[in-house]
This record gives sequence, C-alpha cells and structure tokens, in this order.
Amino acid sequence: MAFREINSKMVEATVVPGQRLFSQRGAMLAYRGEVSFTPNIQGGQGGIMSMIGRRVAGEATPLMSVEGSGTVLFGHGGHHVQVVHLTGDTLYVEADRLLAFEGTLQQGTMFMGAQGGVMGMVRGQVTGQGLFTTTLKGHGAVAVMAHGGVFELPITPQRPVHVDPQAYVAHHGDVRNKLSTALGWRDMVGRGSGEAFQLELSGSGTVYVQASEEKL
Amino acid sequence: MFRMQGSKVLAVDMTGDAVKAKNGSMVAYDGQMAFKKLSGGGEGLRGMVTRRLTGEQMTVMEVRGQGTCWFADRASEINLVRLQGDKLYVESSNLLATDAGLRTGTTFTGLRGATQGNGLFTTTVEGHGQAAITSDGPAVVLRVSPQYPLTVDPGAYIAHQGNVRQSFQSGVTFRTFLGEGGGEAFQIRFEGDGLVYVQPSERNTVAGDL
Repeated sequence: MAFREINSKMVEATVVPGQRLFSQRGAMLAYRGEVSFTPNIQGGQGGIMSMIGRRVAGEATPLMSVEGSGTVLFGHGGHHVQVVHLTGDTLYVEADRLLAFEGTLQQGTMFMGAQGGVMGMVRGQVTGQGLFTTTLKGHGAVAVMAHGGVFELPITPQRPVHVDPQAYVAHHGDVRNKLSTALGWRDMVGRGSGEAFQLELSGSGTVYVQASEEKL
Repeated sequence: MFRMQGSKVLAVDMTGDAVKAKNGSMVAYDGQMAFKKLSGGGEGLRGMVTRRLTGEQMTVMEVRGQGTCWFADRASEINLVRLQGDKLYVESSNLLATDAGLRTGTTFTGLRGATQGNGLFTTTVEGHGQAAITSDGPAVVLRVSPQYPLTVDPGAYIAHQGNVRQSFQSGVTFRTFLGEGGGEAFQIRFEGDGLVYVQPSERNTVAGDL
C-alpha cells in the first residue's frame, strides 16, 4: 500500500520509480531518499482541457506531483487524516480536503447538478462547497483530511443516512445524494433547531463523517 | 442508549424516545428523526423568565425518532455521565446531550461563575439517565471526599456531581497587583463527597490574567 498512517494526523507514502503520487502543494513534512516535487500548474491529471474544466469548476486546488524513490511524510494544518482504499469504485470528495492520492487513480470533476438535479445544486450552495466536486476513480489509496476524527457509516438500500452538510467529508460507492430540508415555520421565526438542511445519502456504499461542524 | 463511537462522537440509539441535545450538534443519522428547538433553563413561563434573567440560555433541540443519531461538537472530547437521582452541575457550553427524562435547570453559582468567564449561573441536570458533556481534551474525573477536598482552576473546571460544597478561594497578594502573580490567583475549592470533571485546558478567565 502506498500510504501508511503514522498517527492520526500524518501519513507516510512510499514512492517508487514509475509510480507517481499527487499531493496538495505544501503538505510535505519530511522525506527520505531521492524524491522530487513538481508543482502541477494543471492542478492534477489530464490535459489542458481538464485544467480549464477544474478552473471553471472552482475545484482547482494547487497540487504537486511527487516522483522518485523514497518515503514522504504528509500532513496539513493539524487535521486528522483518513486513508481510503479504492478498489474500482469512485470516491467523491471536496478538492480542498484531498491531502494526497496515488497516480493510478483517475481524477475528475463532477457537476453536482448531475446527481440529485436542482437540489444537488442547492446542496452545493448551502454547504459552501460550490456546484462541483472532485471524483477519484480506480484502484489505489487516497488520504483525506478532516477536522476531528472521522467515522465511517455504511449506507444500505434499506437504511439511508442523513448527514449534516458541514460534517460531511466524502463518500464512495453507488450512492445518490440529495439535500433534504426540514424547514418549518419555526426556522422562519428564528427558532430553528439548527438542523434545517441535511444531506440524504441513499443506495449502497460508505460515507465518511467528521466529528465537527467546522469546515476546513 | 448513549454509546461512544471513538472519543469525539456520541451515538444514540433511539426507538421512538427522545433526547435533548445542543442545537446543531447532529452530524449524521439513519432512520427517521425529527428535530425541534427547545430552550434551556427549565420549562414553562418560569423557565423563560429565568433564562432571560440569568443569560444561561443554552439552545437545546429535542431529537425524537427511530434509528441512530450521531452527535459531535467541534471535535471536542465527549464524556458520558450516568445520573442516578443525583444532580450534575455543568457549564451550559459543555453540555452536549441528555436523556429526555432528565430535568435541566439553572442555579446561581456566586462569585465563582464570574471568574470562569461563563457568567454567574450554571446549568443543572437532575434525575435518572445519561448525559454527555464535552471537554477540550480528555477530561479527568477527580473524587472529592470529606478527608480530601479538591481545589480546581476555574478555567479547567467543567462539571461536578454529588453532594459537594464549593467555595471560592483567592490567592491574590500584593504581588498580584504589582503584576507578579503566578497566574493562579483564583481557585474553586470543593468539599464533601462527589466527583469533579476537569479538562486539560484552560478557558480564558480573569484569574488566568492575574
């Protein structure tokens, strides 16, 4: 495996020749061996067109590619790091939560409206995540950041899971998301319970939730 | 049923019953849940008047439904407290969730409150059931017995339960006025029989500056 969790806030990545890693720019803490860090103006994989796509989508986090042979330690801002292993499925995650991922994964940008229609767009606005989200597909490992610890919740067709949009970190699997509102007259008169918007995830897969309502 | 999922997430399994929780502290749920805002400081008109007067207005919501609900508050550590007819005194900002069967109220704390930077009033929780309190860092539970009184920094105090008398101690000397204080000008002294919860972190208090 490319990533090894040193403690809850640091991961160690093994870099071997011919295999590339991508990481958030400036997230390297230390390294051993011959490793080079190249700032990636395109902000990820793909050609110029994907770069433009990401710029337009506002999902362009400054990334760097890591190549060579050795081990690299990654960490950022004292946030908790969770390693997610993908085996052919797709992980949906916000670009600014991505710490590092293997080059074998295919990076893409998804329009939130494509999943959940108009409410998907509203969700993007409400959660402050914008209308687009980053997808990672294929076989490999991803290191995702979160404030506080992360816990996994399984989603099964019988049991949809509702998540506070601010506490949502990432999800993978065959999952549909939609924004459900519980807006009542109480919210209008300022007596809301603070849980007016929830992200409803249904289907089968896993959602990662952080122990905090703070955004990164 | 309250159970911990790690040290920072509280999972509550519900079967049609209800819990009271801090407003906006839900992070996820499955099943069917309804959220309704309540107000702390006791029920009814009397509760409303106390809230207005004391400023100890914790905004609470009532969560009712079937399934599991997960609560967390800004990645702070959570401690479970079991109450068997006794009374828990806790700062309203440190109270995360309680069983619906527990009564919450407000009491006057005297001079101690002012030094804690939390106002002159504190929240009480009473009855039979479980409560979850938050702390900045893992809290330690210290026992107070008649032979062994306990003295606590006001900024690190989060809650206490049992039959405990508290008094306020000041170590202010002329050095404090010269700006040479040790940073521990005020303390709370607990005497009697009970438990005190202390966090490994200090809030900003008047005492900390002296």
